[in-house]
This record gives sequence, structure tokens and C-alpha cells, in this order.
Amino acid sequence: MALISLKGITKSYQLGRTSVPALRGVELDVEAGEFTVVMGPSGSGKTTLLNIIGLLDRADAGSFKLDGEELAGRDFNDMAALRNRKIGFIFQSFNLIPVLDVRENIEFPCLLRKEDRTALRKRVELLAEEVGLTSVLKHRPDELSGGQRQRVAIARALVTQPEIVLADEPTANLDSGTSEQILQLMERLNASRGVTFLFSTHDPRIMKRARRVVLMADGKLVDGTAAAKAEVQGVSGLDHS
Amino acid sequence: MALRLLLVASVMNPLLSMALRNVLRNRRRTLITLAAVTIGVAAVGTIRGVLNGLQQSIVRGSIEGTLGAIQVHRTGYLANVLSTPLSLDFEADEALLGKVRSVKGVKAIAPRIQFAGSLTLSATEGNDAPEALFFGALAVDPLLEPKVCPQRSTFFTDGTVLDDTHVVLGDALAAAFGAKNGAEAILLAPDRDGSLNGELAFVGGAMRAIMPGEMKIAVVPLSLAQRLLRMDGRVTELAIAVDDLTQVVAIAEQLRVVLGPAYEVHTWEELAPERKTIMGIQNGVSAVVSGVFMMLMLLGVANTMLMSVLERTREVGTMMAVGLTRGSVLWLFLLEALVLGAMGAGGGFLLMSVITLGLASKGIHFTPPSATMAIEVIPFLTPGFTVVVLFIAMGGAVLFALYPAFRASRLRPVQALAGR
Repeated sequence: MALISLKGITKSYQLGRTSVPALRGVELDVEAGEFTVVMGPSGSGKTTLLNIIGLLDRADAGSFKLDGEELAGRDFNDMAALRNRKIGFIFQSFNLIPVLDVRENIEFPCLLRKEDRTALRKRVELLAEEVGLTSVLKHRPDELSGGQRQRVAIARALVTQPEIVLADEPTANLDSGTSEQILQLMERLNASRGVTFLFSTHDPRIMKRARRVVLMADGKLVDGTAAAKAEVQGVSGLDHS
Repeated sequence: MALRLLLVASVMNPLLSMALRNVLRNRRRTLITLAAVTIGVAAVGTIRGVLNGLQQSIVRGSIEGTLGAIQVHRTGYLANVLSTPLSLDFEADEALLGKVRSVKGVKAIAPRIQFAGSLTLSATEGNDAPEALFFGALAVDPLLEPKVCPQRSTFFTDGTVLDDTHVVLGDALAAAFGAKNGAEAILLAPDRDGSLNGELAFVGGAMRAIMPGEMKIAVVPLSLAQRLLRMDGRVTELAIAVDDLTQVVAIAEQLRVVLGPAYEVHTWEELAPERKTIMGIQNGVSAVVSGVFMMLMLLGVANTMLMSVLERTREVGTMMAVGLTRGSVLWLFLLEALVLGAMGAGGGFLLMSVITLGLASKGIHFTPPSATMAIEVIPFLTPGFTVVVLFIAMGGAVLFALYPAFRASRLRPVQALAGR
């Protein structure tokens, strides 16, 4: 059974009186443990797709199952609880909470579900060691470099032991050296912890590392074969070299 | 202690901890908001404190200066008081006084007679044309009266003597005669049967009128008045002091039961209803002014919270993404408002206490419009009012933060993450 199963997902946005389709009948299965990239030009629907998978937004129609559980029609608090338990997020702009230090930022999702502090503290320390943050646990986000901030975001995404981590353009605000380190880290975590990663990106370096590439154009998925990549590349003018 | 509890609670509760840190995040804005709340609370408290002192001064002036806390008369006396009805007198004997004393809370009793008569002074140097002037008199026992109205003597001019042979003239009466202390005074008054009698006394001094334009009055010794009016052992009024003014209504009620229907019992509020009305107006004006202060102060809190929500939209989106519920978002912003309100209320409490204690240590001395004497106002705060003001500051801050907090809680995560 696929970890994520999307069938006939559609989503439109209203711009004044005009309805702009963002997703047009998306069908996608993601298996547990995958390291998958969703690629496509701007406006192709990548972020909308990730938002729907991340339960940050609702589809207009279609079926969305996470771990076999149908999620269409859930209320806001149900969705918040599911996000907390099953989904980790890594954002382009890191999105750390500025008043919390590194440890607290990592702990935050677990505190919302009132986990035992002692066990959590130990888990956070292990995770911080794994992502290379042990020396900055007491620092505030504004005292960290971009790479360190993204490591905090990765640790925060993993601390709840989610089933899937969604990363929206995770390297877009990082220099190439730091991007490489972050990608290596995520690859390593995918391999060591078996956590499923689903990226949206324009970054060809991520595509190179992906074990599966899902291509999007005009709100639809295009088959992730080399021919399809070339087709999208041709449509978008992206350089995938 | 309260701060320590808040810190402990904040460690236990991550939302409270975040609320505290968020309040301290934009220090300049927080300081401005706190200053507004602090000044607002202090202003409201200080205004009330001064008003408390003023009203206490008015009440004490009435009770301890002229009226007594309670007065007892023969039934029907007050309805006919302008005709000073000596026929509605009574025997102030031990049986009656014993009944009054038996009521718990009665501290002292002073018998009195109110009557009207005429006064003639003997010729003095520079005043060779004595004439009779009509006056209103209050006859008091020089020994018992100070126990009920200890402030009465504050109206007396320096060197005034009130004893069994001396009368004290109101300043209007004294001025009309050009009276000097020690001058002979002949009092004439009709007794209850209408027979005109006379008694010789001496001028003991003068007393200031409480309000300008007061009729010509005098205070005379009770024994002299009883001889003059042929009312040996009889009086028209008992003025009563009580141990606890807050119990005055209950004590008056008890006196009515003990004395029966032949007597009427009135509290100072019933005897001087206009003073209660004045204090009611003062309270109303003070409430309106305080309400305006509080409203301005709380609008400042609402503005701060709205700014905070607008600035932190993306952060709210992040917290929602990792699982914060709408209810928790609402709580987070309400807690921030509560922390702001509590800090401001604490500051306001300190400031109002310092100002009020400072004013109370020296007292405020001023002469009210239309009054003849300066009064001393000692401002003070009551625990009840202080708690209400602090509660309004904190509760109001939360109430005025409801809209911004609700607005934050209704954001859709995807919108909020986009900063919209």
C-alpha cells in the first residue's frame, strides 16, 4: 500500500472573477522510504501539490489517502493533529520561531502533544548531534547561518518521527556549498531512518540525487521518464544539466 | 512572588513561555503600550484615591462636625423642623439613654435642643446701640457634644469658650453685634407654652459659618437653654456616635426597634441627602473619566496586538503547519495580551500607590468653591476598587485582544505561510 495516494486531485484559485486551475486531476502514489522530487516550471502546481499533501490546503475534488487513511473532509483541528503526528515540513525560508532557541524550535511540535520532557530532551540531543547542531542548541535563530537554520528546520521536521517530510525548495536560499551539505544530510537521514522525503524544487542538484522524479506541467503530472523530463525541459526552458 | 509563579507557569506551559517572550520581543512597542496601561491604571487609581479622601472629608465633616452619625427625635419632629417645635420634646432620662446605649455599636450620645430666639448684647466700647437680633440656636452639652461631634470646635475661632455660662455666636451674628468675648448676652425665647423668658449669658467666642450666607446662629449650653425654655431634663434631639460607620444603617434599624414608634431615628445620609447626591455626581463623573482613560489604554493594547498579528502572520502559519490548533493560536495571542495587561496593571498599581501615599503623607489642603474654610483631603485606596481596576486592566486587555487573536486563529495555514 502506498504511503501517499492521490486520485483525481483538482484545485483552483479564484482571482477576482476568474477561476485559475492549479491542479487538474493529479494522480500520484508515493511509497514509504522514497526520496522523490517534484519538478516543474513556476506555476506548474508543485507548491499547491505539496500544500495539499501536507494538509496545509484542501483539494477541491479527488481522493487523498495517507497511510491508507482517507483525509478528504477532515476538519481543521484533525488536520493539525495529523500534520503534527505524520508530516514534517522544511521550508525555503526555514520558518523558525525567532523567540525560541534551537532546542526549543526542535522540541516545539512535540510540546504541542505534551510529550514527556525528559525523553524528548534526550531525543532532541541525539537528533541535534545527527544534524550537527549540538554546539548551538542554546542559540536563537538570528545567531545562526542559513545552513544551520535549515538544519534546525530538518531536525524539527524529524523530531516527531513523521511518516513523510515535505520540503518546498529547501536549498533555494542557500549557497551551493551549504546546499550540498543539506542535501547530503537529507539523503543520509532518508537512508538511516527510512523517512520518506518529497521535495518541490527547481534545483537540478536535487534532481540528480532523487531516486524518483515527478514532473509537473500545467497542473498535471507528466511521467517521470527521461523523455518526459526532456519534454518538460523543453516546455519550461529549464536547464537540467 | 507573582512574577516567580508566572515564570514557573511559563516553563510548564510552552504557550505562556512564548507569550512572555513575544511581549518582550519588540521592546520599544511593548514599553510604549506598558506605559499607556501603567499611566492609565495609575491615573484612574489616583483620581479615585483623591475622591475617596474628599468624600471621607465631606462625610466626616458632616458627621463629626454637625450631625452625628444618627439622630433621634420624637416622631414627626423632622417634618416640622422649620418651626422648631419644642412641643415635640422628650425626657432625656436614664431609662431612655440606657435603651439607646443598649444597642450594640452606639459609642456616645449627646442631647440637644434646637430653638429660635432673640439676642441682645450689652453696650460695649464702640457699640453703644444694642438691639435684639433673631437667631437660630443649637443647645448642646459642652461635655458630651465633643464625644459625638469632635470637629464642631474646629469651627470656633481661637480662644472661644463654650461652657454652662458662655454662648458661641455664629460669625454673622457676632459681626452684626461687633461682639467681643466676655460681653454680656441676653437671650430671649418663648417656651413651649409661648411665654417669653430671658437668661443672661456671656459671649464665649465666635464660630465660622460652614457655608457662606448661613443664617444667624449660635451654640448655647444645654443647661442654659433648658432654663430659658423651661425644659428641665428635656431635649428635642439625641445625636449619636457609632463605633463603625459602615454599620450605621443596621444600628439605626436596631434603635428603631428598641425605641418604638414614639421616636424617629435617622442616619446622617437621611438627614443630609444632598451630600449623598453630591457624592453620587462625583462618583459618576469619576467613572466617566476613568472609563475614557481605560478605553484609551485598552485601545493601545488592541493596536499592539493587531500589529503583532500582522507582523507574525508567517510565524502563525509555521506554528499551524507543525500542528498548533486554532484554539491554541487564539490562546497564544490572548496570553500575550494578558501578560501585557498584567505587567501594565502591576506598574500602574505601584505608581498609583506611590502617588496616593505621597499625597496622603502631606494631605491636600484646599477651599472648595462656596466654602468658608479649607478642608484637608487625605487620599486613600480601597482594596475592592484597586482589585477591580487591576482586573479591568488585565481582563480588558484580553477582551480588546479578542479580535486580533481571533483573526490570527482563523488564518488558513497556506495563506499564513505566504504572509497573506
